[in-house]
Amino acid sequence: MNSKTGVNSRTGVNSRAVTYDQLAGISACFGLALLAHLGSLPAWVFGAAAVSGGIRLARARRGRPAPPRGVRLLVAALAVALLYLQFRTFNGLSAGTALLVLVAGLKLLETETQRDIYIITLCIYFLSVAALLESTSFWLLAYLTGVCWLTTATLLRLTSTRPLPDWRSSLRYAGRLLGQALPLTLALWILFPRFAGPLWHIPDDGHVAGSGLSDSMNPGDIDQLVLSDEVAFRVHFAAAAPPPQERYWRGPVLHNFDGRTWRRASSMTQRPPPLQPLGPAYEYTVSLEPHQHRWLFALDWPSRWNLPDAGLSGDYTLLQRDPVSRPIDLTATSYTRVQETEPLSNRLRRLDTQTMPIHYPRTMQLAQTLRSAHPDDADYIRAVLALFAQQPYYYTLTPPRLTGSTVDGFLFDTKRGFCEHYASAFAVLMRAAGIPARVVTGYQGGTFNRFADYWIVRQSDAHAWDEVWIDGRGWLRVDPTTAIAPERIERGADGALSADEPLAGRWQYRLRWFADARLRLDALKQLWRERILFFDQQSQQKLLEWLHIPEPDGQKLVLLLGAALTLVLCWLTWTVRREVDSAPKDALLRAYARLCAKLAAVGVPRRLHEGAEDYADRVGRDRPDLGPAVSALCRHYSRLRYAAAPTRITVTQFDAAVRAFRPALKRRDSPASAGS
Amino acid sequence: MRRALADRLRAWAARRHGRDSLPIKINRRRIYILPTRFGIMLAFLLVAMLVAGLNYNSNLGLAFGFLMASIALVTMHHCNRNLLGLQVDVTAEVDAFAGGEASFEFVLKNDSNVDRRDVEIRCLGADGIRSVAARSSESVPVAVPVPQRGIIRIAQFELRTRYPFGWFHAWTYIQGSLAAYVAPLPRGARTLPSVAGSGSSHRSEARGDEDFAGLRAYEPGVPLKHMAWKVLARGGEAAVRSYTGLAALPEWLEWSALEGENTETRLSQLCLWVLESESAHRIYGLRLPGKEIAPGRGAAHRFACLRALAVFGIAEPPRTAGTP
Repeated sequence: MNSKTGVNSRTGVNSRAVTYDQLAGISACFGLALLAHLGSLPAWVFGAAAVSGGIRLARARRGRPAPPRGVRLLVAALAVALLYLQFRTFNGLSAGTALLVLVAGLKLLETETQRDIYIITLCIYFLSVAALLESTSFWLLAYLTGVCWLTTATLLRLTSTRPLPDWRSSLRYAGRLLGQALPLTLALWILFPRFAGPLWHIPDDGHVAGSGLSDSMNPGDIDQLVLSDEVAFRVHFAAAAPPPQERYWRGPVLHNFDGRTWRRASSMTQRPPPLQPLGPAYEYTVSLEPHQHRWLFALDWPSRWNLPDAGLSGDYTLLQRDPVSRPIDLTATSYTRVQETEPLSNRLRRLDTQTMPIHYPRTMQLAQTLRSAHPDDADYIRAVLALFAQQPYYYTLTPPRLTGSTVDGFLFDTKRGFCEHYASAFAVLMRAAGIPARVVTGYQGGTFNRFADYWIVRQSDAHAWDEVWIDGRGWLRVDPTTAIAPERIERGADGALSADEPLAGRWQYRLRWFADARLRLDALKQLWRERILFFDQQSQQKLLEWLHIPEPDGQKLVLLLGAALTLVLCWLTWTVRREVDSAPKDALLRAYARLCAKLAAVGVPRRLHEGAEDYADRVGRDRPDLGPAVSALCRHYSRLRYAAAPTRITVTQFDAAVRAFRPALKRRDSPASAGS
Repeated sequence: MRRALADRLRAWAARRHGRDSLPIKINRRRIYILPTRFGIMLAFLLVAMLVAGLNYNSNLGLAFGFLMASIALVTMHHCNRNLLGLQVDVTAEVDAFAGGEASFEFVLKNDSNVDRRDVEIRCLGADGIRSVAARSSESVPVAVPVPQRGIIRIAQFELRTRYPFGWFHAWTYIQGSLAAYVAPLPRGARTLPSVAGSGSSHRSEARGDEDFAGLRAYEPGVPLKHMAWKVLARGGEAAVRSYTGLAALPEWLEWSALEGENTETRLSQLCLWVLESESAHRIYGLRLPGKEIAPGRGAAHRFACLRALAVFGIAEPPRTAGTP
């Protein structure tokens, strides 16, 4: 508009000074993008970004430029040094993101020209991707797409010359652009080849606390867990699911007991003894949520699984090389009824018969009394279970607090406890009688989602049970909770606990429609996980198979991607250009426009003020050779357009006549338009 | 280096498209597009997004990266479309005097349903930028500096746009030959010669005594009411009725009256007289060696005089390859 700003416009648009409005707009977008990182970056990084943005905005409001260069450099050096002190590296997602936030924040502080704003928009776009890299949330993706929309609209207002498009039309334009970008995004996302593993090793940030079961068990731990409604994993069985009393999901196995806490054994690296299946095999897929521990939850007892870097420990826990920090899918086969053929190794027998009588003298005494009455192992086990069933023991989430010897206190005084109390006491009673016993923690049961054919296992399904060694039979699962509250196994904790217990999500079971809605929502989550988060090489191969492409491989995928991109780009070109197509809709007008174009091509363009018959007259004078034909065509056009009476010729015929009309080039001179 | 490259590109475009007759509708074959510096920065960012998404095996990160890449591609189409189908015309320039600027009036006509924003016209180092709303047209004045008297010819000018977002830069070259006559700088100390000693200016003030004198060819700038509409309606060329005042005696602005001065000074003086006579509503003629312009008045007459002064002593120069 102003020719002075345009004179050096190669750089002119970019070196134009920014206004307060523009700064405020881009700061808002930056702030919104930062929200996505809340909780994953140190607070002072946000503080630094907010302060530098605030200072710049305050100065801009009073029409003052950015702070002097020296101040900016000092602040930048300080911030980067602080960042290095905190992370000791600039590599890795958290450190890299923090650095990017600081760079963008400080860039905001020194923003003078539109070029600086470009840098900030690029930072915003990249911050969005960084937030999504380790996220699995649909809502975050939706939110950041919204931020992208807003940023793009802001960018439009930044780069346009005055008068600026107003906010509404900027947003509408950016929205249209986003809409037109979607088909292309979809084609790229579905067909862009995925790789099996990362391109290079990702440094592990490793500062996230684990959730769910831990590698030790104190009285009260599982009670706490059961209060949580969080999903631990979801399971889809390839065929029928095993009956509830066989649905034990094995987690860490605990061997060492110090009178209060059960712990895992330090070395369980030996190969697990072979098992002989007794019942049917179950094939299933566990969609595990990240819990930051190495163990995976498999149905008791796993025999095959698909993860290459997972293996069984000596006590049959499925362990991965690295902690589960991202959602993973485990496809495995398990036998719920097995028997062990090899005898128990001496080391394990020693480990699992260890007792510390000083911590539970009364229990040791009880064990001796019972053992003398029941010298047979199986009889002894039955006797202990009968004890739990017949004596006034209660199954409750809120047992009285125990101090000192938890086993003695529970068995003889309080007689109230949750699964971990019973499992612990049972194992001690077994060991006191010389029977090898260990505590297994994991999950039991689950809720069936009838809307999508899978089981949801929540933290509230956490459970602890025992395994005892019977010579000639191997490790045998004994769940003392069944003796006291058999409903726990059949119907979950809700069925087993009395109505006033504070079980998580319990009130929902009363509202059927609410429970249904929740299940449907969960089914959507699972669908999102299966179809979007876990879309990989295999899914692409399946897609190719589904399209009946023989021998699907990477090369064919790339070819398909090329074909899809060509199609989508054709559509894009068409849809974008269609809007500038000013061709009239009317068939008659179109035919007439074609006639005029043909005549213009031979050097007699219609002037803007000429009607059809005037034009024909002039063509007749300029090009007598074309005169009669043009005159006839123009007369037809006039009739078709204006005559009230029916005409001898239809629009279609007129169009055909125009198409057939081929005027020869002028001979007199070479017209300017035809020169090359 | 960069400049030389740009010059070669222009020459190549000129050969490729040949001469254009104005008005011209910009078709897709003549629009070129390249990313700007920020477009290249964005491309690097997109590659970084792709690598990060693949490395972290994050389908959501990839989705966002692909969304950004698609937005960039759509933007490229929009940038191209911003010029596509635009009609360009130039109305002849108005006054141009040596040492000043020749103001070319470009007309951008947009008969599509989308707005064209920030279309820039560059021509001999000068430029103008305008937005054209849907189904409307805008004129874009581009003031080209003209240091010397004579004819300034523009063989090529450029339409360019960076809309939207400035990630891409689309442009087109148009080989329309424009010419402007640059009159000498009006300057001089002598007073306007008068006819027979007495001032004649008062006579022509009265419009009533004007009489129809004949038809002249249409020149832009003529008042619409002087257009010979009837002639046009009969199918003739656009023409202008010219009038002479009955009572007004013509006054001659003579080259020979300025003996003893050098050529440019004489021309400057004559130019000043032309302007003064015109603003005083006199009837005047111009006599130059080898050229005489019959007495007359009005914008067209004035233009003819200025044009004669502009080209005086200058052989019709060879066409220069004008660089926008």
